[in-house]
Amino acid sequence: MRKLITMILGSIVAFTLNMSVANSAASEVRVAFFLEWPTPNQEDKVKKLFDDALGVPVKWTNFANGGAMTDAMLAGDIDISYSQGLVPFINAVKSNAPLKLVDIAMEYGMGGTTCITSKASGITKANASELEGKKVAVPLGTMAEYVFDESMKVVGADRKKMEVIQMDPEEGAAAIVAGDVVMACLFGGNSIKSALTVGTRLLTVQEARDAGILGIDITSVTTKFMKENPGMVRTFIEVTHEANARYRAGKSDMNIIAKDAEMKLGDMKDTIGGFKFLTPAETKKSMESGNLDAFLKGMGTPGGSVDTSFLPL
Amino acid sequence: MITGIITFATIFAVVGCILYGRKLIKTERVDAVFGNPEKAKGGTHWVIVGSSCLLLVWLYYSWDMAKSFYPKSANELCQVAKVNESLRSLKYLFPIEERELKSTSIIKLEGKNIKKYEMKIQNSSDLNDENKSKLLKFLTKTKNTIPLLTNENLLENETRNKVNEITIKINNLTEEFQKISYASETSEEKSKRIEALEKQGEWGASGTALDNEAEIPAIPVSKKGLKFDLASKELLLISDDFFKLRNHNSRYKIEIKEIKDSIKKFRSELDETQEVASVFAKDILKIARRIEYASIFPPKALQAMEQSIIKFDRVQKKEQGNLRLIDIFLFPTGNIGYSGRACFEAGSGRWLPKPSDTLNKFALLLKPSVGFKNVPLIWYEMMDVSKIVGFILPDWIADIVPGKYPVHSEDGTVKSNFKSKIFNIVTGEFKAFKIPVPTGHIWDSFLRVFLGLIFGIILGVPLGLFMGLNRFAKGFFDPLVELYRPVPPLAWAPLVITVFGIDNVGKVFLLFMVSLSIMIISARAGASGTQLSKIHAAHSLGASRWQILRHVIFPNSLPEILTGVRVAIGMCWGTLVAAEFLAGTTGIGFVENVAKKYFQYEVIWITIFIMGMLGLLFDVTLRKIIDKTIPWRGKG
Repeated sequence: MRKLITMILGSIVAFTLNMSVANSAASEVRVAFFLEWPTPNQEDKVKKLFDDALGVPVKWTNFANGGAMTDAMLAGDIDISYSQGLVPFINAVKSNAPLKLVDIAMEYGMGGTTCITSKASGITKANASELEGKKVAVPLGTMAEYVFDESMKVVGADRKKMEVIQMDPEEGAAAIVAGDVVMACLFGGNSIKSALTVGTRLLTVQEARDAGILGIDITSVTTKFMKENPGMVRTFIEVTHEANARYRAGKSDMNIIAKDAEMKLGDMKDTIGGFKFLTPAETKKSMESGNLDAFLKGMGTPGGSVDTSFLPL
Repeated sequence: MITGIITFATIFAVVGCILYGRKLIKTERVDAVFGNPEKAKGGTHWVIVGSSCLLLVWLYYSWDMAKSFYPKSANELCQVAKVNESLRSLKYLFPIEERELKSTSIIKLEGKNIKKYEMKIQNSSDLNDENKSKLLKFLTKTKNTIPLLTNENLLENETRNKVNEITIKINNLTEEFQKISYASETSEEKSKRIEALEKQGEWGASGTALDNEAEIPAIPVSKKGLKFDLASKELLLISDDFFKLRNHNSRYKIEIKEIKDSIKKFRSELDETQEVASVFAKDILKIARRIEYASIFPPKALQAMEQSIIKFDRVQKKEQGNLRLIDIFLFPTGNIGYSGRACFEAGSGRWLPKPSDTLNKFALLLKPSVGFKNVPLIWYEMMDVSKIVGFILPDWIADIVPGKYPVHSEDGTVKSNFKSKIFNIVTGEFKAFKIPVPTGHIWDSFLRVFLGLIFGIILGVPLGLFMGLNRFAKGFFDPLVELYRPVPPLAWAPLVITVFGIDNVGKVFLLFMVSLSIMIISARAGASGTQLSKIHAAHSLGASRWQILRHVIFPNSLPEILTGVRVAIGMCWGTLVAAEFLAGTTGIGFVENVAKKYFQYEVIWITIFIMGMLGLLFDVTLRKIIDKTIPWRGKG
């Protein structure tokens, strides 16, 4: 009995004083990214140019949604999240997660994130209030939910009266094809493509842009990584912007990007065509007084979560 | 306050019950042999010890104890976290918490990279000899810039003075920090701070619990906190000062400019066929710039500064006083962190919500008007009986009634006839009295499990018995059952959702599949385990086949069947949550999945508790049923 008690107490003390010995300088950088979400820096990723530029191996891990990226960052498994959606980031900093927004990956219209209604239901922008009382698939807590909310405001349908089903994009696409839902809000080229076989966009890309519905994906880092390796953060962003500049100049190798994004070349070109990759100067402006700033303020984000000092200006 | 009382109460309960238990063992007659099940009967006091220990662990690791006994500690620790955060990048330069000097590890790393490129360039088949030699020259030059940075004699006086200045600043801060007068504020500042304090509130529920108020107030409350707050601000300025400082002496500046210019020139002279050389040149430039950006100093140049930082660190730890003990013992597996904008719980306090907060959130969720995503957890709604009638009666009844459905007349009205009236009844389109029916997330989950289980029992038990008694049935169904039984139910989930859709049908079917195999196996085992002598006895007394089945075989297999039901319930709950994760609008699994996306740890824990409680409820009910229906179990 006494031995048992000593053992239990001992293990509690050991658990309490959980000693952690840090190893000197990051020996690898762990980056989170999305599949089906093509970006110019994937060419650098495949050619291992990030590894060369950072001087250490870079480990890329793909995620299903931005919330999972945050989870992994909080658990200490990811240092940099590239092209995390702004909504998951805002949710995270609202719950006091120690993350910092250091760069804008891209701005995009509804091309990349959109709501699609099934043709069978006959619902379009004109009679969108018929969505009320029906089932819609939305990946909650992602940029698609934001797009869904904003689109419903534009077409004048009441979200509260709909039956909103939590579904990740791949499942949402399958559900609309199977006829289980009348509308699915999605992101990711393959998902959108398969949903479009049975449906149409509720708002066209142009309509969404006119209504001011804009998606922003960002680069976020953990504050620990940022403080300890500011040079690496700076280099990562610099290489990414170099890749973006190469894309703007039309010199990117689209085949490599398509393969790495696990998409067909044509689909990939459609998707990436809807993205706007900002120059460093535009990024700074957006972060300080432009779209990103307005978005953050509109969502009630606590201040001090943005850092522009790493941009290669 | 309440948490404190509960903490003491549970500690007393644990101690009291252990003492009572030991006394009981001593007083009890020791005539029972080891292995006698009678010895395990009773023991409510051990139940109390078990659940109290669980509660104590929860209170301890969620830091609710710290909150109730030292409510101000979080705020003070928040200020300490600010200091640690400001110190972080400075400390990271030295082997204080690391193994190496940062300069050393960078030089090692870049040395390796330079070697790697040397190999790459020499072995490259795409480069001509001229470019090769040029690129290698660039590399050597880049390599040679490192000694320029690490040579003590080349260190410029200006840089040296600046470092000394920073060292003196840190030393001064260390001196000042220990004085009582440090961080004294004027009455005006104090009143301002107190005003701000009232606004910021107290150590509340975590950022997502009820609403998004600050989890841990960042403005210092106590005198000690004020000291650390001020020190952190000063340290931040010092650290900024240091990181602006570059150890670039004039020789290094000339060298690096030359490297940059010559690489630029080299790249501009290349034509398109020499892309590879251009890329290599760019990479070499990157290495050079990395070295330029890193804070590389001669090995001895920063020694005094390192000592001053170590000294400050020691002093600030001493100044924490008993706060350090509180941090170690009442904030297990983590501490309070500072993210540059707010303080937060890092460690078990973050993902393990405090019992008090969880209870508050649970009470809030239970309110039918709040619920989760507009659906109450469990409540009732008034439903017309007609809906139930319409659900039960099939629609084709109306079709087989003679006559035709009414057609509108010329004046534009529709008259109902007998056939349409029947149709209204079978589809539930009529008014009757209303009855209350349960609704909500918990009820939906419960119903799914219940239906899956019932269908499994209805189909599985007879089939199992049949398989236990009949050679054909055993041979025919055995491969079928044995093939699908070992597959984990979750493997079916995506397929079932695709085939049966996202409605309840798919989920119930999944649960049915889970329970079916278990019921078949247990019923079959029960049937084949019946003693032949009993069957013979019944037969001799003139029992028919049905009577033997009903009065001998079935009662004999009941213990196995009921144990099977208990196992099936557990499996069903596990599967249900995963099924509701995939697609859903209601249900406990849905609640947990959505809560996860918004980092609502309280809600996640609530769902876990609800599932635990429901599982327990099912099990207790079953135990009662077992006691009632098969009292002979284990005694035959």
